[in-house]
Amino acid sequence: MAAPAIGSMTFRYAFRGSFTDTHDCFGYARHPVRPDHPKSPEIGGDKPVTIQATDAVLLDIHERMVRIRIFEEEAGKLMENGKVPGALHLYVGQEAVAAGVMAHLEDSDHITSTHRGHGHVVAKGGQFNEMYAELYGKAAGYCKGRGGSMHICNMEIGMLGANGIVGGGIPIAMGAAFSKKFRKTKEVAASFFGDGASNEGSFHEAANMAALYKLPLILVCENNGFGEYTRQDNHQAIVDVADRAAGYGMPGVVVDGMDAIAVYEAAGEAVARARNGEGPTLLECKTYRFYDHVGVRGMGLSYRTDEEVDAWKQRDPIKLIEEKLIEQGIITKRKISAIHKRIREEAMAAIKFAEDSPLPDPDGLLEDVYYVQA
Amino acid sequence: MAEAQLKDDQAPRKLAYVNAITEGIAEAMREESQAFLAGEDVAGAGSVFGYTGGLLEEFGADRVIDTPISEKGIMGLGVGAAATGCRPIIDLMFMDFLGECMDEVANQMAKMRYMFGGHARLPVTVLTMSGAGMSLAAQHSQSLEVWLTHLPGLKVVAPATPYDAKGLIISACRDDNPVFVLLNKLSLALQGEVPEGAYEVPIGKANVMREGKNLTLIAYSRMVHEAMQAADQLKEFGIDAEVIDLRSLSPLDTDTIIESVKKTHRAVIVHEAVRFSGFGGELAAQIQELAFDYLDAPVGRVGAPFSPVPYSPSLEQSYMPNAKRIVAETRRLLGV
Amino acid sequence: MAKPLGIAVNPASGKDIRRLVARASVFDNQEKRAIVRRALVGAVEAGVREVCYVPDSHGIARSALEEFEGKLHAEAVASPQTSSVIDTVGGARALAERDCGAVLTLGGDGTNRAFCIGWQDAPLLPISTGTNNVFPILVEATLGGAAAGLVASGHLKLSEAADRAKAITVKVEGERDDFALIDAVVTRERFVGSRALLAGDMLKAALLTRADPASAGMTSIGGLIKPVSEEDDYGLYLELDPQADGVNAPIAPGLYQIIGVAAHRRVAFGKPITVTGPCVLAFDGERERALKPGQKATLRIARDGPWVIDVSRAMRLAAERGLFRIKRARKARRKAS
Repeated sequence: MAAPAIGSMTFRYAFRGSFTDTHDCFGYARHPVRPDHPKSPEIGGDKPVTIQATDAVLLDIHERMVRIRIFEEEAGKLMENGKVPGALHLYVGQEAVAAGVMAHLEDSDHITSTHRGHGHVVAKGGQFNEMYAELYGKAAGYCKGRGGSMHICNMEIGMLGANGIVGGGIPIAMGAAFSKKFRKTKEVAASFFGDGASNEGSFHEAANMAALYKLPLILVCENNGFGEYTRQDNHQAIVDVADRAAGYGMPGVVVDGMDAIAVYEAAGEAVARARNGEGPTLLECKTYRFYDHVGVRGMGLSYRTDEEVDAWKQRDPIKLIEEKLIEQGIITKRKISAIHKRIREEAMAAIKFAEDSPLPDPDGLLEDVYYVQA
Repeated sequence: MAEAQLKDDQAPRKLAYVNAITEGIAEAMREESQAFLAGEDVAGAGSVFGYTGGLLEEFGADRVIDTPISEKGIMGLGVGAAATGCRPIIDLMFMDFLGECMDEVANQMAKMRYMFGGHARLPVTVLTMSGAGMSLAAQHSQSLEVWLTHLPGLKVVAPATPYDAKGLIISACRDDNPVFVLLNKLSLALQGEVPEGAYEVPIGKANVMREGKNLTLIAYSRMVHEAMQAADQLKEFGIDAEVIDLRSLSPLDTDTIIESVKKTHRAVIVHEAVRFSGFGGELAAQIQELAFDYLDAPVGRVGAPFSPVPYSPSLEQSYMPNAKRIVAETRRLLGV
Repeated sequence: MAKPLGIAVNPASGKDIRRLVARASVFDNQEKRAIVRRALVGAVEAGVREVCYVPDSHGIARSALEEFEGKLHAEAVASPQTSSVIDTVGGARALAERDCGAVLTLGGDGTNRAFCIGWQDAPLLPISTGTNNVFPILVEATLGGAAAGLVASGHLKLSEAADRAKAITVKVEGERDDFALIDAVVTRERFVGSRALLAGDMLKAALLTRADPASAGMTSIGGLIKPVSEEDDYGLYLELDPQADGVNAPIAPGLYQIIGVAAHRRVAFGKPITVTGPCVLAFDGERERALKPGQKATLRIARDGPWVIDVSRAMRLAAERGLFRIKRARKARRKAS
């Protein structure tokens, strides 16, 4: 079919803006606009536009972030006071990433996490009782005391576990994404990992396969500038992990990982792409670990300067979002204080629950090694 | 003509080991819509060993999937898909490639259920090829079963016959735990009786291949056939050997082994893997723990020498355990 | 008089969310490094001997200069190292202090805008490595470097090889001033967020120095209605309303949207346009400033932006003056034959 002539008439036609919802100024049918997309405007192309966070979403993101911060602060105290065994890798400083991404996910969407995984569990909807109980190694914990901090999980909310192996979760998330496509669902999988993990072979193999099979996967790189104690410029020759996306044939994006709204917007696009069957995205969030690799010490560390830590703390993600919410009149300072107080009380009650609950029965040591048909 | 036809129908159907593998996979995929097969060259090429031929045609490209040469990725695909509702069948072309994906196997697949307090179920089957004998040299010929049997959370089976290959694959695919099915490349052409349709060979159950009175030969995978030959040869030395095909290494059918040793009072363990630190060490230890008072001779072990698998046929022949060596070791132990 | 050539590379350009929404291209930093290398080859051939560069967090300029050791004297100017836009602003100020004769910038509209906040009348050769590239030019870096080099080394006068660009200056009540090269847009969005300006139905107004129907970005909205070129001594103001008739415009690379335009009018140089919050102001395609309820901002267009070196004009002048012509000694020629 010959295309309609492009002449002054059609230009005027376009100029007057009198083309219809269903046809463009040249008489071609428009692609349908996704009806379920929030605030999807009438657009010329087939792409959704930036997702606008509503007040409810912003407050939800804020709540998730505060929950993470308070959970981690109290967990850190427990570790310092020798109340919980093992090593804790705390998520403080990186809250905007987990909250901004998770605000787009349903329970049926799966994530994999890292050794610094509490934040992801909390943001995905993990409950304090079961989480603290797990840190205490109690039977009431999410993993019945068998996993602890680095393997904390909750299958019911699609949390496929923190992971003690750097890069260990990425192929698993790819497998989960494969399963979602195989089962013809609209679900997605997201894998959180750090700049350090982007040097692991597992990242590269999973990224390649995800792009090859066009899997609904969001690779969320939390670039906090350190692989354990090694600075990024000592462990990779690039600064933007997102640059690696091109090598696998997927889009890569860099976003301010301290700004939850920025993360929310970018993750929204990546999740929408995944749900629409457009394949994986590498989303790099520039963030910072306020505490040490393990434990709560933040300052006076040999591998980074206090000035650097201070500079990042100026952009504390919780402070940033609270300033914006107050500025926009979405919430008052008083209400924010009340939220902090309520969550702190919830944490304290959960710690009490964890302390009071029983240890696992040593006779049950071998339970759960294998699935046994009932 | 009609008579001949009738005879054919009544005779048990014979099938090669390689085709039995295919049938096992096909039956498992027919009965379970959430099952898929993924691995290097399994779709278009029908696998380098030919045992996935025809599956692409039957099940389509959605369920028979060629992967990149990315063993970490393939194994992660299996773990992630199994944890989220699929029943993946993963083909790890050569067992030697375990080195490429040992984290996914050892730290993720084997442990996920336990670490998660029993909240994860991983119905994933991994098929992989082991064994020497085709001049494929040191990186394509190994028998690394102990890498897997040392990991709580995994099940490991090693079929010796076409019948067991099909039945164990079906059992593995029906199991809600990760199961490794160790295939043997030198057995691919081996013919044997294989019924039509789906049937299980139970995981964790050994098979007494031949009953005997005064020696138990314990073997698995291709060494079962060498042990059977050895048993024949041992008759002329007055030894009536019982032969046990373990079929399943983990879980291990200790009862069948101990029962046999209590009867024969002597045991020789045979495997193709390197003898030192091999699976035979575990078997010997269990026998002395559970049947010490019944033993009339030390437990013997036949395995490969402490060497990488060589390339040259002459070297490889001298590397691989065989009936002759089993006979020699038995005579040495028993002093006959 | 020979002056140093300045180099400012934005390592963060070409990486934002617009890769997803607007199918924009990814600009990896290895390619930016290669562009700087090629530009330096041209600059050296044009007579540049001294380079001042803004040290970027990715070390792009520094590593590109490594191979020119001995040919160029390279100096890193003092600039903040925050891995943010502040580096570009501070770096521009430092290059101004060093009195660079010409500056190569690598980035998009946002990068050049930030640079001009630090040095408003800079002599620029802007090479596009950004997402939206209305202001910077697509040019082979070798020639871009040569043209900038001819100006920096004093072979050409700035006034003969460059034109002064239009710009929008922004006064924000109670806060620091701001600046835009191509467009200043008022949007009903509430947050700067991921910065990209992609929600067409949220737009309220736009002030354009250029309305170019052949470019992507906000400039195209005006361009498809009433084109205004860089040469015109006025700007264009658009009142935007999703309910109004409008245009189907490429508001970002790879992204057409229907933008309702309620009204448009020419804006004379110096005429103030006042905006009242709550709203977000976007400059050159990126959300930059959130105005509080009642807070005012005043926008003005004038020809007081940077000088932009015209590569083809510079190279034609070089040809006319024989700047690259080589004369061989007759004896040598005879010997060779």
